[in-house]
Amino acid sequence: MKFVCPKNSLLKEIVLALDFTSQRNTLSIVSNVLLETSDNQLTIKATDQKIGFTTTIEVETIEEGSTTVFADKFLGILRALPDEHIIFEEIGEKLFIHPQNKSIDFSLRTISSDKFPELESSSKEFFSVSQKDLFEMIDQTIFAISDDETRYFMNGVYLEQQNMTLNMVATDGRRLSLIERTFEQSFPEFAPIIIPAKFLSLLKKGGTGEGEISISITDSIIFASFGSQFMYSTLIKGQFPNYRRVIPAKQPNICTIDIKKMNEALKRVSLLVENKAKRIYLDIEDGFVTISSEESDFGQAKEIIPCTYSGPSVRLAMNYSYLVSPLRVMAGNEFDLCFSEANKAVSVKPNPEKDYFHIIMPMQID
Amino acid sequence: MENVWFHVDMDAFYASVEQLDHKELRGKPVIVGGHSNRGVVAACSYEARDFGVHSAMPIFMAKRLCPQALYVTPRMNRYSEVSRNIISILKTFSPHVQQISIDEAFLDMSGTRRLFGIPRECGAALKKKVYDETGLIISVGIGSSKLIAKLASDYDKPNGLCRVSKNREIDFIDSIALKKIPGIGRIMLVQLEKYGIDSPGKLRTYTLDHLQRLFGETSGDFLYNVCRGSDPGMYAEESKSRSISNETTFESDTFDIAVIRSYLLSLSHQVAYRMIEQKVHSFTVAVKLRLDDFSLVSGQLTTESPFLSAEEIYHAAKSLVDTKWDRKRAVRLVGVGLNNVQDGEYSPQQTLFEDPLYSKKRAVEKVVSSLITEGKPLQKATSMSVRKKQG
Repeated sequence: MKFVCPKNSLLKEIVLALDFTSQRNTLSIVSNVLLETSDNQLTIKATDQKIGFTTTIEVETIEEGSTTVFADKFLGILRALPDEHIIFEEIGEKLFIHPQNKSIDFSLRTISSDKFPELESSSKEFFSVSQKDLFEMIDQTIFAISDDETRYFMNGVYLEQQNMTLNMVATDGRRLSLIERTFEQSFPEFAPIIIPAKFLSLLKKGGTGEGEISISITDSIIFASFGSQFMYSTLIKGQFPNYRRVIPAKQPNICTIDIKKMNEALKRVSLLVENKAKRIYLDIEDGFVTISSEESDFGQAKEIIPCTYSGPSVRLAMNYSYLVSPLRVMAGNEFDLCFSEANKAVSVKPNPEKDYFHIIMPMQID
Repeated sequence: MENVWFHVDMDAFYASVEQLDHKELRGKPVIVGGHSNRGVVAACSYEARDFGVHSAMPIFMAKRLCPQALYVTPRMNRYSEVSRNIISILKTFSPHVQQISIDEAFLDMSGTRRLFGIPRECGAALKKKVYDETGLIISVGIGSSKLIAKLASDYDKPNGLCRVSKNREIDFIDSIALKKIPGIGRIMLVQLEKYGIDSPGKLRTYTLDHLQRLFGETSGDFLYNVCRGSDPGMYAEESKSRSISNETTFESDTFDIAVIRSYLLSLSHQVAYRMIEQKVHSFTVAVKLRLDDFSLVSGQLTTESPFLSAEEIYHAAKSLVDTKWDRKRAVRLVGVGLNNVQDGEYSPQQTLFEDPLYSKKRAVEKVVSSLITEGKPLQKATSMSVRKKQG
């Protein structure tokens, strides 16, 4: 196998491919990327057997063939090389890498490509959806997933489809984020799935946020492709909690606050918030909210910002990061904090309403 | 104001409680520990110590040294009860009592001279009151720091009362063998020996810098301070992280995962009961396995929601053992623990989806825990023998 290509066109793809390889065992075939060249095209494949990636770029093929190399070192070498045409050639069990006009020589041990696992392919039809919409749905939910491996069924975003609507939900058992987006198209029917968080970040990393993305969903795998890139991930098996049950039906108290002012206040108050529980207090009164940290060994922080509120005075306690993350991605100028009483669920909604909102379970006040 | 610390050590505690409760054991060598030959001596009476038996010695060795000793199975509930009584007596002498184990405590007696008299008299009064009310003998060490107090109680045991005055501290330290100093273990002793350091006096000839270069920053600092009688803060009260753990040594080393799991389950319950009794919660479960070659395998799992029931602790412990133990060596001992224990029965963070099964189990465990605290005899249903129905 021998081919020549500009460094940057290959580098871009290997950066992405690395995330699909296994980083655990350096001696394993699944830590390698597969390179296969024919007809002036290079196909790159990577998989850790849960997720997989393939892409094709233009190269100048001198001798057809295929091999695999350790992705991590391969990427390191590419990054370090000058930005020019590079010659890649496999001789024996080594891939020789050197820029056309410099005396820089690398060789990497290869593992034969016939040991490389077969990538999955979809048996179901693909449907298109706008990248912008899909990525926005991911942004509105992904921060709420749980990274507690003992609750693996919450380690991803729940996706369900109803005619022209796609719903995404994520929760860690203490807060929940939900977006229900209606499209001007209908989707092929599929049962609700749980998509691993890692795959959603990889989609965003590979995509541009413009144009369409093609998706296909089978019982156990989600496939996606844009341009020449194709990626997939096995889905999380398990029962996602019945989230509808915890969406509060009635929340008579609504406090409207400026998003920017709240963000800034949270940033300042959080300086003195205790690291473990991250508890802040919101004292809501007619016309203003007091955001304060707990009195600690270091001291205390307090800030008062205006709000629109006419209900009874109330004190809420919550993990400040549960408020920070949804506000960071919320569009518009104002948001509503909706609640019934101090120890019940709090909803965080953009004002005026949009197709997403967040639920936060407060902390007990002692 | 002069700092005055008392260190109270309950002499041969478990054995003394047994002798107190059982007249026939008095004046005889008593060894508290499991009956099995693989167990270790948990405590032994002074009569047994005369034969060379000491705590933490394997039972089979104790039997060899002192075959006539009377072996008693530990009754931890009873010892805890007696310990609580003694601690409550100590609290009538000082508002600041720091219990460091079931049979040891520090009392901050600074500024109590007008109330209780000079330290020595006060120490004697304390010993008398404990004896009058419980029938047990304690040793009291008195010093200007916890370190000195602790060394002093050890110096004059059993039934000791030893005060080291401020100006005699260095002489006192010099009269103590290095291995008796808490914090200097077997491994450090060997290292010290390598440099020819065999007494606190020799240790003092080294500069802090030199000790830190030889033993590392923390140990160097510790050694530098301890040989000068200044407390290196060993018994500092704000322990950075608390933990609760229980462990068991098997009758014989095992490869049997079913046996290991059944012990994990019972240890998980013991840990959960202690957690419930102490009104704390934790997000981290830890397991420990000692293998047949004495190597240690350990692991811990931290989750986002606290472990509130034995069941949850067991599941985490089981999965830790499944991933950490490669089954190449037999297991000798298992331990289950909770790390980073935090105050409060529950975490203040409320949850969206309460698992009703776990809340029920926790309610049951709370009842069981309170029964155990009251000392009620309990038997697990699974351990009851079932008679097969005839016919």
